[in-house]
Amino acid sequence: MPGVAETGTVTAVEFTEIVREHQAMVFSIAWHFLHDRAAAEELAQDVFLRLYRSLGELESPEHVTHWLRRVASNRCIDHCRRRRLTPRIGLDRIAEPSIPAVQPDPMLSRRLRQLVASLPEKWRALIVLKYQEDMENEEIARTLGMPVGTVKSQISRALDFLREKASRVMGGEV
Amino acid sequence: MSRIEDALRKALRREEPPEGFAERVMARIQSRDREAAGVREAIGPWGGLLAAFREPHLRWAAVCAAAALLVGGLEYRSQRLERAEGERASRQVMLALRITGSKLRLAQDHVRRIDYAPVERKERL
Repeated sequence: MPGVAETGTVTAVEFTEIVREHQAMVFSIAWHFLHDRAAAEELAQDVFLRLYRSLGELESPEHVTHWLRRVASNRCIDHCRRRRLTPRIGLDRIAEPSIPAVQPDPMLSRRLRQLVASLPEKWRALIVLKYQEDMENEEIARTLGMPVGTVKSQISRALDFLREKASRVMGGEV
Repeated sequence: MSRIEDALRKALRREEPPEGFAERVMARIQSRDREAAGVREAIGPWGGLLAAFREPHLRWAAVCAAAALLVGGLEYRSQRLERAEGERASRQVMLALRITGSKLRLAQDHVRRIDYAPVERKERL
């Protein structure tokens, strides 16, 4: 492939390997953020296209991971702001259970993903990076360009919000 | 770890994208490369130069160079205007000095004539 060869850093085969290595991470950030598989795939593809153009500026595999998380999160935030998708899944669209009961895990997970997709964009980015990517607050702060204190306080507020909504929707303590 | 955090970790597990994702990414890259090559061909020898300006750092370098040229040009023009103004003022001063000098010489001659007049009259008497 001429374009990849032109970058002078990786071949087409190597770039395909990079995509395969990181595709679950990038796609999942977009999927948990947008809660729309088609939009998530398109956004994830855009992120890899940008990576392809920026490969010359990235020095190490760790740098590639950090870059992908940062660009994917920012693209998700921009995507929502541009299309005024806040929230795509409104809390009012999540049905109240007729019989509050402890639900099996798959149901709780599905509801939680819907609740996460209903959060304001910044909170969504923080929750996805914290619990999908298992990142430390300092790393999240660097990725999103926020002070660590703000990251901690915003995650705590988002968790309180999710806890309250989840217990209302699912019934019982979460 | 609280129950909500545990539940979030389970809910937000990484998921693989639909089958063939990497191939679709590579196909988009190839398609963009072909488009870019077509544009380069269409715009001829200037294509390389124009393509270079798509690089963000080169674009910024060009903007900085243009700004430096503009500032330098304005500074040069302002210095030229200042120098011309100075030269004009200097010419005016020289002219004024020449006029003053000639007037002074006239006055001096006049005074000299007044000074010598009674002496001449005395000598005639």
